[in-house]
Amino acid sequence: MEVLEAIKSRRSIRRYKTDQIDDKKIEAILEAGRWAPSWGNTQCWRFVVVRDAELRAKLTDTLMKIKLPDKEIPNPAANAMNTVPVIIAVCAEIGKAGAKHGPGGGGVEYATDKGDWFMFDTALAVQNMVLAAHAQGLGTVIIGAFDAAQAEKVLNVPKGYRVVTLFPVGVPDQEGKAPPRKELSEIAIKDKF
Amino acid sequence: MDVFEAIKNRRSIRHYKPDIVDDKTIQTVLEAAHWAPSWGNIQCWRFIVIRDPKIKTDIADTLSRVKIDNEWVENAAAKSIKQAPVLIVICAEKGKAGCSADGTPVTDKGDYWFMFDIALAVENLTLAAHTLGLGTVIVGGFDAVKAAQLLGVPEGYAIVTMTPLGVPERKGQISPRKQLSEVLFKDKFNNR
Repeated sequence: MEVLEAIKSRRSIRRYKTDQIDDKKIEAILEAGRWAPSWGNTQCWRFVVVRDAELRAKLTDTLMKIKLPDKEIPNPAANAMNTVPVIIAVCAEIGKAGAKHGPGGGGVEYATDKGDWFMFDTALAVQNMVLAAHAQGLGTVIIGAFDAAQAEKVLNVPKGYRVVTLFPVGVPDQEGKAPPRKELSEIAIKDKF
Repeated sequence: MDVFEAIKNRRSIRHYKPDIVDDKTIQTVLEAAHWAPSWGNIQCWRFIVIRDPKIKTDIADTLSRVKIDNEWVENAAAKSIKQAPVLIVICAEKGKAGCSADGTPVTDKGDYWFMFDIALAVENLTLAAHTLGLGTVIVGGFDAVKAAQLLGVPEGYAIVTMTPLGVPERKGQISPRKQLSEVLFKDKFNNR
């Protein structure tokens, strides 16, 4: 699929078929993630490919409920997480991205006011991955609202690493809706803010 | 250009030709960025497109110097910013991504989800530029507070990153990647 077409036609998919996915397609997604740029080429990302049904259910349980004024409802992504054959958990090694010098003894000194850039670098990889999935006819939805500490327990993530995001990968059972975007004039500014 | 080809062949470009990049091209690149997904579709990103050479130079001067062979030298990207005809500065509205409606962070990542959402957009931007024959290099090592002052970025917004945009003067180097087996686990962390 052509790049600009993939970027514009990718949607967050919340309804999936139960169809299995060829390992080769998953590998192509991960390969796309691996080729993202990163701070000083530190590549802090780690990908956990979760196929085990019990683990998928446990990860689904970490999703936050949506608070409405009068009640709480399950996260609409929860159903998706239990339907798809694969969930990719994207983790980050802490203390690499955004650090001033390589791994130092003792504490890490960060170069900027943002501290650790792990959120930024993992997202560069994640965007490549969701585009790679879409280009192969697969759907994804990037999930951030979950109990990361609990997910880290479920996946045995060691100290020094954190789970950043989870995303199901599966065959879409719906056309994703295009949520409206702000007009470009609202977000693009010439020369000064 | 095919998605996989673009992802694998995109390089960070540090040497640019002075050739003009037209407005339509810039718009295509920004629209690609803008089609990124975001937390609750909040679209916290804002883009400042800078062509003014004086402003570009001032911003280039906010880049951190780097230590090479025990000597502090100008960051290679500072020169890139001065060379390229266009600099795109990407800002984030704070207190939106990763936060509930009242601005309270909902995860253990605090309000740093703006870093994540901005990067989703930036990756689209670099891929779109690459397919149009243009180079980018994502710059993070600069004094964001000083750059915000120079660009009049108001309170409540932060400058996250910037990239020059222009015609590559030479090919970018391939930064070697870890093997997939080094970053990939099955079902549980460290399970290969």
